[in-house]
Parts: sequence; structure tokens; C-alpha cells
Amino acid sequence: MGDFKLTTIEEFEAATNRLLETGAKVGADAYQYRVKNQTPHCKFGEQGVCCRICTMGPCRITPKAPRGICGCDAHGIVGRNYLRFTAGGAATHSDHGREICHTLYCTAPDGNYKVKDPEKLIRIAKEWGVETEGKDIYDLAHEVAVLALGEYGKVFGHQNFIKRAPKHTQEIWAREEIEPRAIDREVSCAMHMTHMGCSSKPEALIRQSLRAGLADGWGGSMAGTEFSDVLFGTPMPIDTEANLGVMVEENVNIVVHGHDPSLSEMICEYADDPEMIAYAKEMGAKGITVSGVCCTSNEVAMRRGIPMAGNFLQQENVILTGACEAIVVDVQCIFPAIGPLAKCFHTKFVTTSPIAQMPESDYIRFSPENAGENAKAIVKMAIENFKNRKPELVHIPQMKQKATVGYSVEAIKKTLDTVTNSQVDITGTLKPLVECVKSGVIRGAVAMVGCNNPKVRPDTAHIGLMKKLIENDIIIVASGCSAQAAAKAGLMDKRARDLCGAGLKRVCQLADIPPVLHMGSCVDISRMMILVSDLSKDSGWNISELPVVGCAPEWMSEKAVSIGNYVVATGLDTFLGVDPYASGSSEVEGLLQGGIRDWVEACYTVETDIDKLVDKMIDRIEEKRTALGI
Amino acid sequence: MTLFDIIYSGNDELFARADKAIYDAIAQYGEDKAVAFPDTAYSLPCYYGVTGQKVGNLGELKAALANVKETLMGRKPRLNDVFNSGIASALCAEFLEVLKYIDGAAPYELPRYGHLSDAMIRELGVPLVTGDIPGVAAIIGTAPTAQDAVDLVKSYQAQGILVTLTGGVIDQCESLGLKTGFNIRVIPLGDEMQSVIHVVSVAVRAALIFGNITPGDLPGLEKYTMDRVFAFVNAYGPLADEVYAYGGGAIALGFPVISNEDRYRVPKSLIYQEDVSKFNATSLEARDIKLKITNIDIPVAFASAFEGEIIRRGDMQVEFDGSRVDCFELVHNKDASEVEDHKIEVIGPDIDEFEVGSKHSIGYIVEVAGKNMQADFEPVFERKFHSYLNCIEGLMHTGQRDMIRIRVSKDTFNAGFRLKHLGEVLYAKVKSEFAAVVDKCQVKVITDPEMCTKLRHELAIPMFDKRDERLTTLTDEGVDVYYSCIMCQAFSPSHVCVVTPERLGLCGAVSWLDAKATNELDPQGPCQVITKEKVIDERIGEYEDVNEAVRKFSQGALEDVSLYSIIEKPMTSCGCFECICGIEPLSNGVCIANREYAGMTPIGMTFSELASMTGGGVQTPGFMGHGKHFISSKKFMKAEGGIARIVWMPKDLKDQVAERLNESAKELYGIDNFVDMIADETVVTEDPEALLEFLTEKGHPALEMEPMM
Repeated sequence: MGDFKLTTIEEFEAATNRLLETGAKVGADAYQYRVKNQTPHCKFGEQGVCCRICTMGPCRITPKAPRGICGCDAHGIVGRNYLRFTAGGAATHSDHGREICHTLYCTAPDGNYKVKDPEKLIRIAKEWGVETEGKDIYDLAHEVAVLALGEYGKVFGHQNFIKRAPKHTQEIWAREEIEPRAIDREVSCAMHMTHMGCSSKPEALIRQSLRAGLADGWGGSMAGTEFSDVLFGTPMPIDTEANLGVMVEENVNIVVHGHDPSLSEMICEYADDPEMIAYAKEMGAKGITVSGVCCTSNEVAMRRGIPMAGNFLQQENVILTGACEAIVVDVQCIFPAIGPLAKCFHTKFVTTSPIAQMPESDYIRFSPENAGENAKAIVKMAIENFKNRKPELVHIPQMKQKATVGYSVEAIKKTLDTVTNSQVDITGTLKPLVECVKSGVIRGAVAMVGCNNPKVRPDTAHIGLMKKLIENDIIIVASGCSAQAAAKAGLMDKRARDLCGAGLKRVCQLADIPPVLHMGSCVDISRMMILVSDLSKDSGWNISELPVVGCAPEWMSEKAVSIGNYVVATGLDTFLGVDPYASGSSEVEGLLQGGIRDWVEACYTVETDIDKLVDKMIDRIEEKRTALGI
Repeated sequence: MTLFDIIYSGNDELFARADKAIYDAIAQYGEDKAVAFPDTAYSLPCYYGVTGQKVGNLGELKAALANVKETLMGRKPRLNDVFNSGIASALCAEFLEVLKYIDGAAPYELPRYGHLSDAMIRELGVPLVTGDIPGVAAIIGTAPTAQDAVDLVKSYQAQGILVTLTGGVIDQCESLGLKTGFNIRVIPLGDEMQSVIHVVSVAVRAALIFGNITPGDLPGLEKYTMDRVFAFVNAYGPLADEVYAYGGGAIALGFPVISNEDRYRVPKSLIYQEDVSKFNATSLEARDIKLKITNIDIPVAFASAFEGEIIRRGDMQVEFDGSRVDCFELVHNKDASEVEDHKIEVIGPDIDEFEVGSKHSIGYIVEVAGKNMQADFEPVFERKFHSYLNCIEGLMHTGQRDMIRIRVSKDTFNAGFRLKHLGEVLYAKVKSEFAAVVDKCQVKVITDPEMCTKLRHELAIPMFDKRDERLTTLTDEGVDVYYSCIMCQAFSPSHVCVVTPERLGLCGAVSWLDAKATNELDPQGPCQVITKEKVIDERIGEYEDVNEAVRKFSQGALEDVSLYSIIEKPMTSCGCFECICGIEPLSNGVCIANREYAGMTPIGMTFSELASMTGGGVQTPGFMGHGKHFISSKKFMKAEGGIARIVWMPKDLKDQVAERLNESAKELYGIDNFVDMIADETVVTEDPEALLEFLTEKGHPALEMEPMM
């Protein structure tokens, strides 16, 4: 094991506290203070029993006031809120996906954006019945892009991608009438159903929640993932580093933040430009370092090895280093606090998307057509800002870990090919993984996803769960801020195999992988759906029979609820460490945590005690094994 | 049943058997009865390796079994417990096997070997490191047909892979007359499945001997065997739970199991191969064994497994005998214009023109040319001929220069082997192994008796004489550089040999000229130049630059070494040394034992026990592993007074080194027939007093020397 050691939560916190001292010097605000101001939280809100859908209210349900003015009870209100929450998430992911489809439409051989993985494009085109023979790859890209954009508003039929699911799963969706139709329709339908005077029946609301979720996971998110791969390359294992120590004091530091890789890909391109590097040197820096926060970071890390400065709750920390010349954001999960905070330092806060416009930012409107110019201007702005640093405020915590990232489904299959034996096996499948699971060498898998949430001591749940799971020979696939927590701790360093039980350790050794596999950003949870679908096909077991569960222990966003819904609806039991504002209705809670199992063969478990949560997951995995007789 | 349940059940069954056997043995002999495997310093090797505890008697064996139960037989559904239960199963088998050896019994009769000695393992060290033995196949069970078994064994043999046989496969091989034996690297262990432990024992001892793994460091042991011992298992189904349990242990050690029983599959670990004729290819791929490909166009197999093959008179088609008629072998460095690449010329009658069982002259000259070729490399290549020719199935070669003897078996002759094939082998090997210096190569094989006589006296002998002259000038003082040799680091990760003209590598296989040639062939390879400019202490042969090199090549494991002392900073050993010497305090001298000598020495230890004191790249003052040729070197423990310290050697070894040792002693001390003053096992085996008496009687110089310690 040599000198390898995980970074502890205490070390994370010590680094954060040191940065908060810098913040205090310049009078900066921070989420830690705002949490205090906002605590205790509104109990009605937490239970999901506050309704402000019409202006007769707002109404809040209590034992003394069991119904709103319109007569809706707690079950209807909680159900409606839950569906609206889902719709918000589904819309968000899917709109991100739509942007990617649009970027695909803008590709040109000599343009800002090119087709980097033509093979994948052809594969998808064939899947969708598009003639590919003899067609120019860019013509094909445009044709597929139009079809993909059509998925958002298709008049008839269901999402194209659902054909990728195992037959059994497709049958369930048809039987339960939750096959996702046009993506926008499912979101609109959700908004419609929750309008004043529409649905108040929990079953109907939850069913539509699953359907809207599926429109996200098997529609918008999957488009986002698949066409990002076509545009920017399908991720393959690549080495990078994670945590604030990746920022380099002598360099111009540009931090990309958000979710859409279109802009950040361009920024990375220009930050590597010799002309820009020369300019940076001219301005007194040694070079340019691009690092990332949140899912934009995940996107560029797995395709380019760009280091990850941190996850969601670390976004303010990058500015508190005093060494961030520019934080460039696209969409989603960006604190409006960044603007005022940047003003306390020399940092430029650059917003770029009409979707995410914020006060106290430099707004450089980004579009695929002028992406190159935009990116160049931003990099230049950051370089020119280097001289404005206040040296007395600069402190970068020297804390980072190595990580091997980039495990797309394609990469996982390629990696598994290395442990096949050409005398007996075929390649390009997940069969080696199935064999490991069947024999018991690996007990199962957990898909760890989701955000940070101050309600949970940041990263403790992610890291604690993962450590215990890998000790128990359970392999982890991770995405989003969960993946970054793992990377920061060192769990994506291949040497972390020594922390595993003997089974997972041996697998990591033979396949040369870390025990926690980075599958990408939060839209890339769609990759996990493909993974379990292919696992089901290669094993002959239904998805719900696989000893695989999903887990979001520190989630916070609407997107996470949408994700949870499509993961459950795909057949995977999902474990949440934060309550989805549903505790105010026994019926809704009963459905989510039990009733929907009758529909989709899986449901939620909510457990805020993290130790119990992990034990419940291990038990569930072992139960599934017993049921399979393995 | 799940795979884990099967392994647990096999382990339980073995435990019960071992428990009962130990109980019965104690009832019969009492707890104080000694138990041990013969010819090993590590008894019981597997248990010692795994736990660090030695077992000497039945009482301790009982305690050991209880310890196995307590520490290794967990039953959680996790691979950790499965691996440990596999190891536990191997240990139970070891306990069952050792009971067979009570009272010095010999429970196995050849061709079955049972327990394998430490000396055998040490002998395997060099070929395992060089890749001449690219792997170890443990074949277990009964093949679908006897022919399947023989085909598989032969396929491995042809690749140089060491094969052990356990179970019905032994009878199957015997029934079709397959030759077996340690010398040809096909080793039947025993008929019971549990005898497979004897090959596990080899892997465990390799880790202790060469890897310097601390006994009891199970993770270290598992890592060593996984990374460095390229073994695998071929298990013919149907497989009993017991075999699954051993399989768990094998996989824990990193050895994949390939079987034709399809119950469970684990990538790269437990592989189902329905077609037993593909066991070989499947296994090699599973264990990532890369073969040194030598495609030589001859009608019989060519593999290192045949190196030790002996051809008896009755099996012999024809013999060439340098002790009776004129024979020689020679490498001759020529100008490029004189050599036509791949020209093989046979001058004189071929084998088919000789009567069966007759004796003849032979001379073969390998003429090479190359821009980087040096005359100094001629003997380096030439010394390899012995090994090259012996790799031919059914050909035996002994001796060197003009004292060679070659026998060709009837089978090999009948397979179509002729003298041009001998030329093909020499050509292919010289060309492939010395590619960096040999651009062109041609071979002349001469059987014309007159021509042999003429060339022997007019070409070969003058060349040999010239080389000898050159060798006498090759002294440690006479050269500017020494060479490192870290070939063994594949096996013994922190060991470094410093090879000087007067001190060859301890394995006996790498002389200073060999090292020089190896360096020439691959400057970044195992042999690198070590300068010797900064002398620290001339007496013990310590140099600053040598120390620096040793530090670098041992990755800091070793600080400093002397070249000429066995007391002060002695050179380390990898474990595959030909001989070991150790101090005998009473006589003020050293005893030397060679690997082949199985008896006791006056130090009170056998070769194996002496050898276990050192090895694994660790400095052990007072003990030193070395090559046979080093014994007659004037630098042999020069710091302590030199060869005059040698008081005891096995007779056989004495005979081998007598001539040169006598010469050195005469030169150094003016003593005639020094070897006669050295005791051997015919005079004294273990009594130091008797040794002293003998030495006093002979007036041995060591008695007059300064005390060593």
C-alpha cells in the first residue's frame, strides 16, 4: 500500500475552516452561516404538506386543519409537490440534453464542434433506424440531432431509447402505463396534473412521477450522455486528481462549474493554446490551470483528465482560495452566492447561459455558433485578472488525491475484456462481471449518486458508505458529486483496492481498476441504466433481481428526485439519506417505500441514519442473492 | 450449493480428516512424537509460511490444527473467508501428509515423489528466473482418456513448463509409458488428491527462500506467489468438494484453476474449458505466461524441460565421445565476408550412416560475425551449447571444449533427427539470444574423423589456449569495471550480485564475461556497469561506487557490501546459489556444502538448513551463498585469509574443484595438494571434534590462522 492513505473528513473540514478564516477577513458570506440562519427549517415544507399552487392559500395541513381550502388532503398535496419536484428535475436534465442535441446539430468539419466518436453516432443511428451507408458523418449527425430534438415533442409513440431496456422491463412499463412519451409532454403533463383542481390521488401522481422520471433517464438524460459522447468522445479510463490542491498557485486558475460540457470543452481547448499560455506567462503566471466543480468537472475529467477541484458544497471554497481568476459557470447547482463572494476577491464570476443568469456576474452569452470566441475571451479575461490577485489572501489547501476516472459502459466492457480468456470467452460483454457476482466474489453493486446537502455532514455519507460497501466486496459505480467525494477521499485511486474485501480486491487487481468507478456526471446516471440493462441481458436475470441497488445519501436537488424515480422505475431499489418531503403523507410515503414495488418491482428506502442505511443496502443485496440462489 | 458453500464443505471434510488422523496418531505414538518432512529447513513449510510457527511434534501439530480452525476457517459469505478456508484446506492436507513421514518413513516410491526437497527448489530458482521454466502446471485428477493426459503433459514439457501430477493422471501417464521425473520436469506427486500440497509447498518455500517473505506474513506470501510464481492448476472433473477447497487456496495464492467441470466461473481464476486439448492455451493465457518462442525446425521437441534428460546406453542410437576420439565444439568470430547467414554444413557421414550404438568423432564450429561482436564473447556463447543441445528431446550433451560427449536416442533418430538439426539448433539459439552482437551465423558440423583430428589440434586447441591465457589476466585488479546482475529480482526483489572476473554470480551461471555480454546485448538490462574507482577498503573489497550501485539496484534495501569477506558486509544471496559456506568455529574455518549434498555437515546443519540462514537478498555475516567456481578463486573470502579457511566439503564437490583449488593454494600459500587437507563426509559428517582431529593430523593451515570472529 506504500504511502497511500485516504483523506479524512476531518482533513476536509480543517481545510474548509482555514478557508473560512480567509473569508472572515474580507467579510465573505458562506453557506455554513446561511444554514444557521435558515435553521430550523419549516416543518410544513419538510413534510411536503404546504400547498401554494393557487392563491386561495397558502394552505398547510395540520391535525386541526386536515384539508386545504379546496378540500385537498395531505396525500394529494404531498403527491402533487412530489410530482412537481420531479417535473423540475426532469425538465432540467432534459433541457441540458436538448442543448447537447442542438450542439450536435451545429457540428461541422471545420466548426467549433466536431464529431469525435463517429462510431457511436453510427451505432445510435442504426438503433434508431437511420440509414448510415455512404452518408457523410456530419450529414448523419444533423439528421440524428433533428430526430433527437424530436424526442422532446414527438407527437406519437414513446422514447426511442426505451428499446434498450430488457424485454421484461419494457413490458412492466407498458403494463403500468409509464412508458415515457415525448419528454416535454411528460413534464407538461406533470404540471397539468398538479394544477389546482386536477389530480389529488396519490397513485396517479406517483405514477406520473415515475413516468416523468423515465422521460428524463431514458430520454433527456440519455440524449445528453449519448450525444455528449458523440461530440466530445466516449470516456475511457484516464488519470486525474481531485480536491482543492489541484489548483496551482503560480498559475492562472480557471474553474468551470455547472453541468453542460459544451462551453467547458472549449475553455479547456483554449487554455491549452500555446498563444494563451504565452500570454499567461507575459502576465506573470507560470501557466494556466483549468479545474472543475460539480458535474461540468465530471464531464471534462472523464474525457480530458481535467482535475476536479471539488463537488457541490465546495464551490465557494474555490473562490476562498484567493487564487481563482475566474469561475465560469453554465447551468444548474450554481449558488447565487458566488456573485457577492467573488466580489470579496479578485475573482471574475462569468455566467454564460440564458438559463442561469445571476446578479453580480459578467454575463458572456454562450452559443455553439460563437463558442470559440466566447471561450477565448473568457480565458483572456482570466489571464488579465491574474495581476489583480491579493497575495495576502492566497491559500490553497495542499490536499489532493489521484483518481482514475472515465468508466463509461463502453470502457467497462473494454476493461472486462482484459480478464476474459480468448480460448473460452467472447469479448464486449459484461459476462465477466456476471461471473464474479454469480460466484460470490463480488456480492453486488451499488450505484452511488447525488449531491451534497448541509443536512448531512458533507461527504461523510458518500465516503462512509463506500468504505463499508467495498469492505464487503460490493463494487461501486458513482456519478455526480458522489463520484467527486470518492475521488477527493482517494477511493478512485487504484491503490484503494487494499481497502476492499478480498473478493473486490482481487477483481480490482485483475482488471486494474479502482473499487469505485467514476461513470460521469448526473445526466450520466443514464449510463448506469444501460449498465444494468446489459447486466440483465448477459445474466438472464431481471434488473430487479440483480444484486444491485441505487443510493443517494446526500441528495438535495429536484434532479435527484427525477433520477430516483427513473432508477426505481427501471427496477433498482433506491436508498435515500435525505427525506424527499413526503413524510407528511402516509399514503405517498407508503407508495414510495413499498407500494410501487407492485408496479415496477422496486421502491425507495429512506434512512437518515447512515450506518443503518449501509446495513440495509448490504442486507438487500444479500436478500437478492439468496432469492437467486447464488 | 453456492461456490462458497462447496469450498466450505470441502474444507470441513478435510479438517475432520486431519483431526481424526492426528488424534489417531497421538493415540498411537503420544504427543511428543516428532513430525517433519525430510530435506527441508522449513518444516512444515506451508504452515510455517502461513503462520510463522514451526511444528516439531504431534502435540504441536494438534495445536496447529486448532489454530487453523480458529484463525482461517471463518464462514461468512465473503471471499476473504473462502480464500482463508482454501489455505486452511491446504494446511490440513499438509498435516495429513506429514503424518506419513513419521519415523523417517518413505511413503512415496518413484516415480511418485511426495514431498520435494529444498535443494530441488533452489535448483529450480535460476531457470524460473530466466524464463527457461516459464511456469508451473499442477495437473490434478483423471483425464477423460490417458492419451489426453499424456498430450497435455507433453505440451507443457515442450514449452519448458514444470509439471506436477496428482491423482489418476499419474497412472494414465504411466500406462502410456510417459517418462517422468524431476530431471525432465514432470513430477508425479501422489495418487491422493491431498498430495497436491507438495507443489503448494514449493510455492510457499520459494517465497521464503527467494522472496525473503517473513513467515507468518500471509498477505505478503499471497502477493509474492501471485506476482512471481507463475503456477496454475489444471483440474480434471468431476471435482470433489475437497478439490474445490484446494482450488480456493490456489486462487488465493494467485494460481488460476482451469477445469472441464462447468459449475462456477470466475474470470482469470476459475475457468471452464470444456475441451481438454485446450487446457494448455487457456492456462497460459489465464496466468499471463509468455513463452520465449524458439521456433526451430527440428523433428523433435525443443524445451528446457529436456535439459536433465539422461539417455542410457540401451536407448542410444549413436554416441560421439571426446574422451575416446577427437571431438570439439567451438565458436569462432569471423569477418562478415566469411560468413553466410544460416548456412548449415555437414561434413562427413550423418547419423543414419552409423551403426546403432557406435562411437564417433564430432566437431562443430559456429562461425559468427557482427559489428559489436568481440572475441571475449566466444566462450560465453560456447558455454551455452551444453544447455542448448540438451534442450533437444532425446539428445544428451556433457562436457565442454574438446571434452564433449553427445548421445542421440533411438526415438529421436527415428523421428528423423539428423546432424543438420544440431546445426539448426545452434544457429537459432545463438542468433536469437545474442541478436545484438551476432549479425550473421553459420554452422559446420564435422564427423569426418581426419578432419576432426586436424581441426581439433590446429584450430580448437590453440584457440582454447589463447583464451586461457586471456582468462589468467582477467583478475579483479586487471579490469576497470564490474557488473551488477539483478536477473533474480523477478524472484528475489532486493538481491543484487556484483560480478567480478574472480567472483562469478552465486548461481554459478553468470561470469564476468557473461555479464559483459549481457550488458552489451541490453545496456538497460539486468547486468549494468559498476565502476570501481573509489576504494573504501582494499582488504575486504569495498568500493564507494559498488555500494552506490548496490543501493540503487536493491531499491535501498541494501546499504553496502564487500566483495571478499563473509564476515563484514558479505554479499547477499537470492537463494539459488550452488553452494553455501558457513563458519565452523572450532576449527576456525568454513565448511562448504553444495546443493546436491543432502547429508549433515560439521556445522550441525544440512545444506537446506544452512541455506535457510541466508537468501532473499539479506546479509547474514558468517554465511554466504556462492558458485562452485568461486571456491578456487584467489578472492574467495580473501579478507579472512582466503581458501586456506576451507576445512570441509562434500567429497563430490571436492573432486569437482580439486584441480583448480590445488593450483590456487599452491600459488597463494605454496601448499601442495591442499584438497587432501580438506575433510569430507567420508571422514567426518557432524562431529566438530573429529573434524579438528583430522585437520590437526593433516596440518591444515586454518588452525594456525587468526580467529575469524
